[in-house]
Amino acid sequence: MFSLLRKERMWRSHDLRRRYDVVIVGAGVHGLSTAYHLGQLHGVRSVALLDRGYLGGGNSGRNTAILRSNYRTPEGIPFYDASVKLYEQMSEELGWNVMFSQCGHLTLAHSDAGIVGLRVRAENNQLMGVDSRLIDLGEIRRLVPGMDLSDRARYPILAALYHPPGGVIRHDAVVWGYARACDRMGIEIHTDTEVTGIRRNGRKIESVVTNRGEIATETVLNCTAGWATTISDMVSVPLPIVSYPLQACVTQPLKPFLHHVIVSATLHVYVNQTDKGELVIGAEIDPYQSYNMRATLPTLEQMATYTLELFPQLHAIRVLRQWGGICDMTPDFAPIIGCAEEVDRFYMNVGWGTYGFKAAPAAGKFTAEMIATGSTPGIIAPFTPARFRAGKLLGEKAAAAVSH
Amino acid sequence: MSTFDFDGHSVNAEPGDTVGSALYRAGQRVFSRSFKYHRPRGLLCAAGRCPNCLVNVNGVPNMPACVTPAREGMVVRHQNAWPSLETDALSAAQHFDFLMPVGWYYKVFRSLKLWHMVEPHIRAVAGLGEPPGVDEIKGEYEHAWWHAEVAVVGGGSSGMAAALEYAGRGASVVLIDDQPSLGGRARYQSSAADLAAVRERVSNEAGVRVLSRSYCFGLFEGNLLGVLQPNPHGAVKERLIHLRAGHVVVAAGAYETPLVFANNDLPGVMLSTAAQRLIRLHGIKPAATAVVVGGGPRAAGVVADLKNAGVRIAGVVEPAAIRSASGGHCVTGVKTDTGSIPCDLLVICGPLVPDAGLLAQAGAKLVWNQAHGAFLPTGLPPNVSAVGSVCGTGLAGTPANRGGASKRSFVCVCSDVTTADLDGAVREGFDHIETLKRYTTTTMGPCQGRMCQLAAVEICAGLTGRSMDATGVTTSRPPNPPVSLGALAGPRHHPIRRTPMHDEHQQLGAVWLDMGDWKRPRYYRAGSGDETACVRAEYQAVRERVGLIDVSTLGKLILQGRDAGKLLDKVYTHRFSDLKPGRVRYAVICDESGVILDDGTIAALAGDRYFISTTTGNLEFVDQWLRWWLAGTGWDAWLTNMTSGFAAVNLAGPKARETLRKITDCDLSSESFPYMGCREAEVAGVRSLLVRIGFVGETGWEIHCPAEEGPKVWQALMKAGAEFDIRPFGIEAQRLLRLEKKHVIVGVDTDALTTPIDAGMTWVARLDKPDFVGRAALTQASQAPPRESLVGFEMQDDTLPDDGAPVVLGGRPVGRVTSARYSPVRQRTIGMAWVPVDHAAEGSAIAIRSGGRLVQALVKQAAFHDPEGGRLRQ
Repeated sequence: MFSLLRKERMWRSHDLRRRYDVVIVGAGVHGLSTAYHLGQLHGVRSVALLDRGYLGGGNSGRNTAILRSNYRTPEGIPFYDASVKLYEQMSEELGWNVMFSQCGHLTLAHSDAGIVGLRVRAENNQLMGVDSRLIDLGEIRRLVPGMDLSDRARYPILAALYHPPGGVIRHDAVVWGYARACDRMGIEIHTDTEVTGIRRNGRKIESVVTNRGEIATETVLNCTAGWATTISDMVSVPLPIVSYPLQACVTQPLKPFLHHVIVSATLHVYVNQTDKGELVIGAEIDPYQSYNMRATLPTLEQMATYTLELFPQLHAIRVLRQWGGICDMTPDFAPIIGCAEEVDRFYMNVGWGTYGFKAAPAAGKFTAEMIATGSTPGIIAPFTPARFRAGKLLGEKAAAAVSH
Repeated sequence: MSTFDFDGHSVNAEPGDTVGSALYRAGQRVFSRSFKYHRPRGLLCAAGRCPNCLVNVNGVPNMPACVTPAREGMVVRHQNAWPSLETDALSAAQHFDFLMPVGWYYKVFRSLKLWHMVEPHIRAVAGLGEPPGVDEIKGEYEHAWWHAEVAVVGGGSSGMAAALEYAGRGASVVLIDDQPSLGGRARYQSSAADLAAVRERVSNEAGVRVLSRSYCFGLFEGNLLGVLQPNPHGAVKERLIHLRAGHVVVAAGAYETPLVFANNDLPGVMLSTAAQRLIRLHGIKPAATAVVVGGGPRAAGVVADLKNAGVRIAGVVEPAAIRSASGGHCVTGVKTDTGSIPCDLLVICGPLVPDAGLLAQAGAKLVWNQAHGAFLPTGLPPNVSAVGSVCGTGLAGTPANRGGASKRSFVCVCSDVTTADLDGAVREGFDHIETLKRYTTTTMGPCQGRMCQLAAVEICAGLTGRSMDATGVTTSRPPNPPVSLGALAGPRHHPIRRTPMHDEHQQLGAVWLDMGDWKRPRYYRAGSGDETACVRAEYQAVRERVGLIDVSTLGKLILQGRDAGKLLDKVYTHRFSDLKPGRVRYAVICDESGVILDDGTIAALAGDRYFISTTTGNLEFVDQWLRWWLAGTGWDAWLTNMTSGFAAVNLAGPKARETLRKITDCDLSSESFPYMGCREAEVAGVRSLLVRIGFVGETGWEIHCPAEEGPKVWQALMKAGAEFDIRPFGIEAQRLLRLEKKHVIVGVDTDALTTPIDAGMTWVARLDKPDFVGRAALTQASQAPPRESLVGFEMQDDTLPDDGAPVVLGGRPVGRVTSARYSPVRQRTIGMAWVPVDHAAEGSAIAIRSGGRLVQALVKQAAFHDPEGGRLRQ
C-alpha cells in the first residue's frame, strides 16, 4: 500500500555518454525487453536505448494488445508460448501490474475451409502443449452470449478456436514496467533522440550518430518497427520488408458484456472490451504500402461493418477515436531476428508485422542471449535473416492472416 | 408540448427542448454519476461536448441529453448509478480516493493471481452505459456521396460570410452546421451581433446548400469530409455523407472549457455558454442566485443575460480569486480569497478553445499563442483554410487555471482525473504530454479531451517548467465528435451471387454452400437419403454414367491483343505464347517468392486471343494481378472480365460424349477433339466454348455459354443425358472425385507458402523461360529438395480423419491432412497430406492424429483412380 504514496520517477533522463557497449535503436517494447534481459540475465548494463519520440510512442502504444500462443507451426507455437509465459510472470517480476487479462481468445470460422484451418491450429497446439480447442456453437453461445450466432448473418459463425490462456494486456504498462526495471539497472533510456546515421569501417561498426551527438559502440540492435529498413539502410543491410498501415478504433465505454477476445479472419476484424468498458476494434492491414499514419474513412467503415456483423445490437454505439500504426511485413509473416550477414554485431529484432507485441518478452530474452553470448538460441534460429537468401521461408503466414 | 419518461417520471418538454433542457426545467440538477468516484454531475457545457449528461435514450446508452431533441414518448434512463442518481452506493468510492491515486492499479496488484482475482470486480463497476440488448433491432442508416467546390464547416458569422463569398464567386458551396439553425453563438449570446439579415441571405443564396444539425467528424486525405446528418428522411436514423470538396473552409469556432479549482465538478457549476443556451434557446431561468466567474466584457455579457432571465447576481469573481465551490450534492456557494458567497449557480467564463481538430487532422500544426490564450492552427495544407475564432479571432487571453495539486480539482471530468493526479504522474516521470495522457487517461474519455486538453497542457507545462509549445498537444484523431457504428457501416448490403442456373438447382433439391459471395450446390437432396448417400449417388453417376455440375462461378477472363501471349508468359509459370489455337493448358500463377496464388486453365481461341479461367475465389485478385503486371509495359493486351457474362457447366463421365453428341454438331471424337483441346460450337443451338478437360478424372467437357442461355443449355444436357440416368452433382461429390485423381485445389491442398515444386507440380514451372513472376524463387527451390511433400495416402483401418488433422512424428506435428474421404473405388479412406520429404516415398508409414489418437496410413504416390489418365483421353 505504501507504494501508492511513493512518487519515484519511473525512469530518468541522462546526458548521452560517449560510449556504450550496446546501442539499441528503438525504445519500444522490443528494445526495452531486450535491454531488460541484457541487464537482468547477462549483466550487460552499458546499454543505451534511443528513441526519436516519446517512450512507447510507436507500435508499442498503438497495437490492440492481444496475447496468444495458438499459432500454427512447430516453430511459432513454442516461441509465442514462451512469450505468453513470460507475460504471466511479468507483474511479479517487475513489481508492476501489467494488467494481463487472461480472458480467453476465440477465433471464429464462417466456412468449412475456415474450420479446417482452425483444426490444424488446434491439433498442433494440443500436440505442443498449448491449451486450444475447436468448439461448437453451443459452447460459443455459453462463452459469448452477446454475439450474433443466428443464421441471419451473411456468413454465419460455424465454430471457433478457443484458446483460454489468450487475452489482452495493458501495453503501456508493459513499456513503463520494463523502462523502470531498465532504469534501476543503470540502463539509459534516451527519448527524443533520433539516429541519423551509423558509421562502420568494413564489417565493424564504429559509432551511432544522433541528433544529440555521436556514440561510440561496436554493437547495435535495430529494434524499430515501421521504419526498420531505414535504420538497416544506414549500414547497407537490405531487408525484405514492406511497410503497411494498420488501423484500429475504440468506442465509448459500456458496462461489461464481452469478456473474450473475438477474432474473425473472414470478417477481417477483432474485438475485445477493455476493463474501462470500451470496445477496441482492429482492422486488417491497409491494402497499400505507406508510412502515413493518418486515419482513413473506408477502413473505419469496414471496422464498423464487420463489428456489426458480430454484434448487430451495437449499431448506435459510437466510435471515439481511430488511429494507425505502421507494420513491417516480411514475405513469410515471421520476424527477422539475428545478426546481419554483411556487418559484424549489427543485430536485428524487426519485421514483426502485426504480431510483435505478443512476442516481445521472448524475442527480447533470446535476442539478449544472442547479443551477450554471440550464439543464437535454437528457438529464434528459424528467424535468421539468412533464410531469405536460402529460400527457407517459415509457415506462419497462414495463421497470421488477420492482424491480431 | 410533448412528454417523455425519465426514470419512471413523466417530464414535459416545450417545442425546441432537448432532453437536457426539459429535465433542467423540470428541476433535475444531477444528470449522471462520474466514471471513477461516482460523484454527482450536472449540466456543464449544454453543447454535447462534455460527459456530464450522458443518458440512455430508448435503449441507446451514452447519449448526450443536452443535444438530444426531446420527443414524445421517449424513454430516458440515467446511467452508472445504483440504486439511483440521487443516492449512488458507489459514490462512497470518493472517500477512499487516497487508495486510488493515479495509476494505483499498476502498483497494488503486482501478481497475476491477485490481478485475476480483482479484475472482474473492477470490470463490473467500470463502463458507463448498459450495452443494448441482443434483440435490439437494426437501425436504418444510409451512405451518400456528395461533391462540392467548397465546403464550409460551421454556420456562425464567419462561416456564413465565407459561404456567401464563395457562392458570390459562382462556387457550389455546402455549409455544414451542427445546430438546428444558423448563427453560431449569436443564437444564444445577446452581446453577439445580430445575424438575422445574414441568415436570410444565406438561405436565399442558391449556390449554398445548408446542412443543419449535421456535423463533420473527420477531414480525411484528399479533402474528404465525413459528415453525419441525423434523421435525413423517413425512418433513416442517420446518414453519413462522404463530402469531397475542392476547398474546405473550417469556421468551427471556439468552445468554452471549464476552469480548474476545488469542487469544480459540482452540479450547478456551469459554463457561461451553457447558462446562455438554457436562457436564450430554451427560455429557462437557470437558477435564483448566481455567481459569475470571469472578467471583462465576456463576463459583463453573461451577467446581462442572466439578469434578463431574472437571475440575481450575487457576485462577479475574477478566476484567480476562486478557491473552491462548496456544496454536497449541488453547488451552494463559492469560496474566494476574500470570503464566501452563497449561490445556487456558479457560472464559469472558461477558456475558449479553437475547435481546430479537423485542421489538425489535415496536417495543421497547433502553435501556442499567448495573446489569444490558445493553440492556433498554422501550416494549413493546400485547399484548406480557416476563418473566425478557430484562428483566434476574438479570443482574448485565458484566465489562469488555479494552481496547486488538489484531490477535488478535476481536470478531466470524464475519468475523474484531478490536479493531484497530474502532479503525481509528472513526478513519477510521465512528463511528456502523450505519456501523461496514457498514464492518467486524461483526454481519453468520452469528451476526447475537448473539456480537459488545454488545462492538462497548462498544468503539465507548469509542473515541468516547459513552455506551452514544448509541452504541445496530443494528436487529434477522428471521429470527433463520435460517430455511431451503424452510420459508419451504412446500409450493410451483403451481396449474394447466384449462378444463372440457380433456380434449376433449387428445383433439383440443392443444399447450398457459401463460397465467398456465391451460393453453390453442396449436394442435391434425393429421396430420403442423407448427405453421404446423396453424394455417393452423384459420385457413381459421374464414374459410371454421366454427371453435370454448374461451374459458372469460375472466374472467366478474355485476354486479347498482339502481346497477350507475352503477358501470360510473364505472369503464369507455364508458357502460353506457343499454345496453338484450339489447345488448352493448365495454368498456375505464383508470386515473387514462388508461392502458388491461383490456378486454372487457359484456352487459346486464336493467336492473339485467350480464354482464362480462375478459381472461384480468386477472380478479382487475378484480374488485378494481370492488370498490375500489364501496367506501364505498353503492350498490346486487353483484359475483359466475362465472369458474369458466361454460364459454365462441366459434363463428365463415360457417357458424356454420347450425351453431348445429341445436342451439338461438333465432332467430339478424340481424334478431332482431343483431351486439352477447345472448340467454339453450338450446343442446343447456343454458341458455346467447349473445353475438354477433366478435373474429376473422366471424359468431359467444360461448356461456356452466354449467361442468359445457361438454363437452356443445362436443361438440354439434362434431357439428353436422361437416357443414361444423368445426375447433377455438387461440390462434395466433386471434392471426392478430384481427390481420387489427386488433383490439387489451390487454397485447400496448398497454403500461403506452397510452391509448385513443393506440391509436386515441377512441370508447371518453365524455368527455361527467360523471365516470369516467381522464376528466381522457383529456380532456387528446384535446386534444393523441398522440406515437405504433398502426397496421397490410404488409411490402414476405417478411420476417417478430419480435414486438417496433423501428421505426427515423434510427438510433433510435421504435416497435415488437406483432405480425406472414403473412396468407393479403393473401398477405404484415402486422402492427401503434407509430410516430411523423407516420408514421402511410396509405401512410407505415416501417423495421423484423429480424435485424439494416432492412426496409421501408407503413402501412395499414384492417383487412386485411373493413374494413367486413360479415361480422360478416351
